[in-house]
Amino acid sequence: MSVSSGTPPQTFEQGGVLLKLVIFSLSLGIVPIASYFASEKYIWGGNSTFAAITAIVAANIVLVAYIISSLRDDQAEREAGKPPESRKDR
Amino acid sequence: MSYCPPYAPFFGFAGVASSDALREYADQTLGWPAVGAAYGTSKAGIGIAGLGQFKPELIMKSLIPVVMSGIIAVYGLVVSVLIVGGLDPSHDYPLYSGFLHLGAGLACGLTGLAAGYAIGIVGDSCVRAYVRESKVFVAMVLILIFAEVLGLYGLIVALIMNTKVTDAKCS
Repeated sequence: MSVSSGTPPQTFEQGGVLLKLVIFSLSLGIVPIASYFASEKYIWGGNSTFAAITAIVAANIVLVAYIISSLRDDQAEREAGKPPESRKDR
Repeated sequence: MSYCPPYAPFFGFAGVASSDALREYADQTLGWPAVGAAYGTSKAGIGIAGLGQFKPELIMKSLIPVVMSGIIAVYGLVVSVLIVGGLDPSHDYPLYSGFLHLGAGLACGLTGLAAGYAIGIVGDSCVRAYVRESKVFVAMVLILIFAEVLGLYGLIVALIMNTKVTDAKCS
């Protein structure tokens, strides 16, 4: 099959991708639980249901941040002059 | 028959376990959202491994199903933390509360299982289609969001059930 375009930049890019993935994985684990306990103690005054809702909203914010960052990655690559991923023009 | 039999906390903790993301203990009856999230991650991961051979630059975008499976597991974790917060040996624990906690845990857990299953299958096939046609991406995100709100609905039901647990005294 066709070889992927631009193999030299690939190796450097892998480092950036891996770091971003690690950051998102850690935040997906830490942010909801931290926001649950923090909001239960300081914001909602012991009401655990609102704290759970806060934790869920925080987890979804992390998800949306991931989607936006992956879209922006893709746009940055496209502006760098790589061929577009849509169907074969070759 | 008392309102607070000694086996009542068994059901409460069973609710915690069925809602909890017990990743290490892949028991067949416990850790439902973990099973769902594991299925979603593995099935989508197969598709991503296939995509990665042809278009490695698309990998960040195709990891979105995997992240969404992780969110399903986070839902289970939050509900289990919520239920455990209501368990206290110094207070009375009627069987009513035990069943409520069990129901809340199962509601979140089984919907998490269903959502993870859906995310896995959709993620796999959409990621494979994304290799050839990049316009599939928007459709994939939309379908994944709809699959994810299944888990969210179960979490909402679990939250509502959990608010019904009162400090009932054993008569």
